[in-house]
Amino acid sequence: MLTNIKERLEQVVNNLGQLPSIPDVAGKVINMVNDPESSFNQIALEISKDQAITTNVLKLCNSAYFSRGKEILSVERATVTLGIKEVKDIVFVAATKSILDKEIIGYDLAKGDLWKHGLSVAVLSKQIALLKKKVDIADIAFTGGIIHDVGKTVLALYVQSAFKEILSLVDSKQISFQMAEKEIMGFDHQEIGEKILSKWSFPQILKDIVRYHHEPESAPADSKLIVSIVHIANVICLMGGIGIGSDGLYHQLSDAAIQTVGLKETELERIYANLPDIVNQASAIQ
Amino acid sequence: MQTLINVGVAQMEIATNPTVLRTILGSCIGICIYDKVKKAGGLAHILLPSSLDKDKPAKYADTAIPMLLNNLYKEGCKKENMSAKIAGGASMFKFSSNLSLAMIGERNIERTIKLLEENSIPIMVADVGGNNGRVIDFFLADGRLKVRAAGKEKVYYKV
Repeated sequence: MLTNIKERLEQVVNNLGQLPSIPDVAGKVINMVNDPESSFNQIALEISKDQAITTNVLKLCNSAYFSRGKEILSVERATVTLGIKEVKDIVFVAATKSILDKEIIGYDLAKGDLWKHGLSVAVLSKQIALLKKKVDIADIAFTGGIIHDVGKTVLALYVQSAFKEILSLVDSKQISFQMAEKEIMGFDHQEIGEKILSKWSFPQILKDIVRYHHEPESAPADSKLIVSIVHIANVICLMGGIGIGSDGLYHQLSDAAIQTVGLKETELERIYANLPDIVNQASAIQ
Repeated sequence: MQTLINVGVAQMEIATNPTVLRTILGSCIGICIYDKVKKAGGLAHILLPSSLDKDKPAKYADTAIPMLLNNLYKEGCKKENMSAKIAGGASMFKFSSNLSLAMIGERNIERTIKLLEENSIPIMVADVGGNNGRVIDFFLADGRLKVRAAGKEKVYYKV
């Protein structure tokens, strides 16, 4: 049965059609924001072409989390009031919700759990980036936080059938859950996530966040800091029970990541203590 | 009819038969106290052992437990009829040993048990530690506690 899972998963990752899709506009906007040739107007125009996304984007612009007080009625206005990076994050929230906001069976996550987890990790990652004065990557930390577990949406069904084997391997070899995923199914949820982001033509830095969020020490030098930030935010949310599933806390908390980000023990504990506020902020994104 | 109330991180709820209080735990502890005569009880979802800020008592074991007990007394519960069940306090699977953040689960367990003992509330069940996340349901009809962890369910009936 388990070799069967490996073969089936191999087929899934080699057949892009079987991986989830999101509206094209998300990939376009993410790449346009990184392209100095693109103007605010061009980006706003691109978003406006997708009516469903535009409706949700405007709703999110006026949500308690993103709103700056004054009601925003157009995407052009949003790019001016909130800034282009914030609008990109909002497009991203609107585009990925349908994929992430559902029940994730094999990981024992009820509908909404993975979505709330992603939003909480996003808000916390952004906060850690700002705390460490890394203003230029705060928006990427946010986007990466939302999407880091996207691989679970595809792997879930296979994890459901292989769960006992995965957990007994964790126990017998004393390896983390995602290492056991890889050993038993050929892929872990990080690698599946990376494939999904490749399909969406997302930038390398987001792929690195998804690919290395449980093993930040292996991330390429260029993205090590941001991967470490999302890693820490993810661990803190899981410890607080936010989006904790059948894989529990069978993951590592990387010392190297804490050093890369430069967080002191007292800072870490304060961040953890502040979790209820993070959860409140995340639930204000709707 | 049973009503289900979700108790969030650092929140506390008091309820009576037939309500069910649910919470999801990682390193936090769900402290469930039940009065078997009154068929009432409360659940506090604590995040840390000792208070750092005074305004959110439900966040810390040392402020949440006295508050939970006082709220139950106000409802007419009596200490001699009360008992506690606790769950949670998991730790990360792998971490460097000198990291105090990683020890929060253990610290929460230790402090919670000590505080309940100091308040003379007998602990019937402590489903704590390890690396599992836990979803717990506390039934005020009879004080039973259902713990779901790693795809398995356990029910504790003793009150």
